[in-house]
Amino acid sequence: MRAWLLLLGGLIVWAAQFFLLYAIGSIFLTTPTARVLTGAATVAAVAADVWLLSQARRAGATATDGLQRWLAYCGGMLAGLSIIAVSWQGLPALLA
Amino acid sequence: MSSETGFDPELYDRFPTREPRPDGELAELERVWHAPSGWARFTVVNNNYVGLWYVGASFLFFLLAGCLALLMRAQLALPLQGLLPEHVYNQLFTMHGTVMMFLFAVPAMEAVGVLLLPQMLAARDLPFPRLSAYAFWAYFIGGLSFFLSVFVGLAPDGGWFMYPPLTSSTYSPGINADFWLLGIGYIEISAIAGAIEIIVGVLRTRAPGMTLDKMPLFAWGMLVFAGMVVIAFPAVILCTLLLELERALNWPFFDPTRGGDALLWQHLFWFFGHPEVYIIFLPAASLVSTMIPALAKTELVGHNLVVLAFLATAFISFGVWSHHMFATGMPAISVGFFSAASMAVSVPAGIQVFAWIATFAAGKPRFNTPTLFVVGGLFTFVMGGLTGVMTAMVPLDWQVHDSYFVVAHLHYVLIGGAVFPLFAAFYYWTPMVSARPLSERLGKWVFWLMFAGTHLTFLPMHLTGLMGMPRRVYTYLPGRELSATNFISTVGAFVLATGVLLFLVDLARNFRMAIARNAGNVYGGGTLEWLPTGLYSTRSIPVVHSRQPLWDDPKLSESVEQGRYLLPNSATGRRETIITSPLRAEPEYLQIMPGPSAWPLFAAIFTAGFFMLLTVKASGVGVACGVLAVLCVLRWLWETDRQVADVQVDAGAGIRLPTYVTGPNTHGWWAMIVLLVVIGMIFLMTLFSYVYLFGVHPQFWIAPPDWGWIVPIFGLYAIGVGAAWLARRSMAKGARLWTPAVLLLTGSLALTAGAAIDLWSWRSLGIDPEFTSQAALIHAFAVEQALLCAIGVLFALYIAARTSRGLVTRPRNTSVDLATIFLVYAAAQGCATALVTRALPGAM
Repeated sequence: MRAWLLLLGGLIVWAAQFFLLYAIGSIFLTTPTARVLTGAATVAAVAADVWLLSQARRAGATATDGLQRWLAYCGGMLAGLSIIAVSWQGLPALLA
Repeated sequence: MSSETGFDPELYDRFPTREPRPDGELAELERVWHAPSGWARFTVVNNNYVGLWYVGASFLFFLLAGCLALLMRAQLALPLQGLLPEHVYNQLFTMHGTVMMFLFAVPAMEAVGVLLLPQMLAARDLPFPRLSAYAFWAYFIGGLSFFLSVFVGLAPDGGWFMYPPLTSSTYSPGINADFWLLGIGYIEISAIAGAIEIIVGVLRTRAPGMTLDKMPLFAWGMLVFAGMVVIAFPAVILCTLLLELERALNWPFFDPTRGGDALLWQHLFWFFGHPEVYIIFLPAASLVSTMIPALAKTELVGHNLVVLAFLATAFISFGVWSHHMFATGMPAISVGFFSAASMAVSVPAGIQVFAWIATFAAGKPRFNTPTLFVVGGLFTFVMGGLTGVMTAMVPLDWQVHDSYFVVAHLHYVLIGGAVFPLFAAFYYWTPMVSARPLSERLGKWVFWLMFAGTHLTFLPMHLTGLMGMPRRVYTYLPGRELSATNFISTVGAFVLATGVLLFLVDLARNFRMAIARNAGNVYGGGTLEWLPTGLYSTRSIPVVHSRQPLWDDPKLSESVEQGRYLLPNSATGRRETIITSPLRAEPEYLQIMPGPSAWPLFAAIFTAGFFMLLTVKASGVGVACGVLAVLCVLRWLWETDRQVADVQVDAGAGIRLPTYVTGPNTHGWWAMIVLLVVIGMIFLMTLFSYVYLFGVHPQFWIAPPDWGWIVPIFGLYAIGVGAAWLARRSMAKGARLWTPAVLLLTGSLALTAGAAIDLWSWRSLGIDPEFTSQAALIHAFAVEQALLCAIGVLFALYIAARTSRGLVTRPRNTSVDLATIFLVYAAAQGCATALVTRALPGAM
């Protein structure tokens, strides 16, 4: 399970942030409250991604075989991608 | 090197073995895996036959839906044509979209998976061959019955996404819409059965040593595809169920005058409908990523990035459903979120496209037929992708919504992203299942006709749409400058059809089914499906050390054929395959596989009867068919979950594996967990519907029953869980003969009582499911819970029947394990239902 979480962690963070933003948008509509909550959710998601990235780097440094290195590489890449994705996803709160 | 299961990876060094194999092993394998002949051929469950039939059936539906498209294009060739009356045209466009999406695109991908995966993973078969056979027959019989409705004027006519209120009983009286709702619901059962098979197959039956990083990209694509089916399809199962309940029983889920909302349908449908596009695209992209290295004679550039792109697409595609609803007046901030996600989803698709282009650039491609289809598909898909990014921008989407621009966009994406890759795959893999490859000369004609036809048909449609022609109209007026583009589109459609017709000629001339004496590795692929095969798949199961094993070890084929790897024989005298661990593919145990059986076929026939007879309001006979279908499923299961005489066997080179295992590592346990995810998603979508309708129409909501009711409800669910847990535990403690079955029955009845009290607590407030959407949803929750309880009772009776025949292995038994998990889940769902429905306040 730990291996799967390392691999998919970044995407899970993105999905959690997205559905949270959908709920915020649906409940608070286009209001300042929605913008603040969206910003907070985005900051939390980025923080989670940074933590995942550090875990992936650590896993890569201690890997003893090809599969472990591969999981660390892919997990790290997806966590990095997720930082960009959640930031992008939070932008409409500033613009809309 | 690390281990996942305690298996010593150094044991792999024993392969290939050097000692000569005993005589008669191959003959024994052929005897065990022999396919019945004559009429009994319909009882085969082996993936080679079922997969090929599946591919053939999906292609048949492609042809049928294509014929409908030609009729529509003939009608639209000129303004005010009288070829098709309006109501027939409505049926044709509905059937064209529905058949292409539900009966061609998704099943075709599952079909290719069933055919290729066992070979590519070097498994003897997929882990549940009878489930594969059932999925195929259910799809084929159900699909044909559904399609026949078009010949008797009963085909649905509300468009392939069947929006209410147009499809409500007020505006669509008669049974046309019911054919869609019940027919599609039925076909989804088949899709989900196939998805369960593929998930467990990819994760648990890979050749030893095929760690995740060495897994073929097609297997990755199919794994992600199946995961998406499991998450997405429950939404459409739920919305079809709700609309059918509204039509049949007048429960107002989508009627705003009684607290329902038509947009709820759109949310539920598109939560399935947009991921559906990627559900179709990802397997096709994985076919392309598997073919390109062979076609370009080099490793795929960016293999890891392509895997990441698959995973990213799967996640992001679930965040774009509302971009089909930009014109419905959602909050501006929500529109912004969905617009952002819709643009983001193009990034992983772009990564794949660049990986393919880079591989062609780095390699030495020959422009044979599969290469042409791959390159043509890439070109077409990129064009469709670009218009997709355009429509992700809200102001443009408002302009082109429901116009021919969108029709052009979706056809570019689906033909470029799925149809061309499938035709490439037909040419590439036909030599694996046919004595002769398809013709290169004819194939190039097929490609150029299809390529030219596609662009001739759909490129002008962008203009038709931008000039204002809405989709789904059966004619148009002259003098509106729509005639020229429409005429060109019609000519293009017939050019495209000529290409497909030529493909049929090629098939008739060259395709000759042959598993063992096939034409072989014509294009020089490096993955395991090109090992010499029979109905047993490969003679022995190789140890995998790289992503292109045939390229890296030129002697592999010979060694595998000589039986120098794992399982070079039938170790137990039965059909069997090696179950391996999910990450590192370490051998864990030998799965004994069921052989040919007529029961999956009968189960499919009666399932079709159940749904179709309900559609034509023959409820009594329909229910009888449903009961028979369940009995047939139980009968096919009856022969499974049995211990064989050999508790452990030599799987080759002294590696001994058990033949019966219980617990969380078994393939049966994994399948049950995936099934529970499906059921859980249906429940989650029902919860969403409840909260959504409360959000839009709180004035219809009454206050929930007193919280005191929670005590007996939770108490009964706790008794259910306790009884199920005791049933499993009593087996391990050497319980008396009937104890587990009696405990499971007690647990199921306790759950039933809990669900009944929950419903009673609401009904005591005087609610009526015909009056408000809240009451209707409370009853829908009760229906879901009642179904779970009924399955629980069925489980208990099945265990009792097996106990009476001495078929329940002790101290542990997989069937009892699965029944226990199921009852625990049912209790958890019941508790969640009771809590959430009471959590929202009432206005009345």
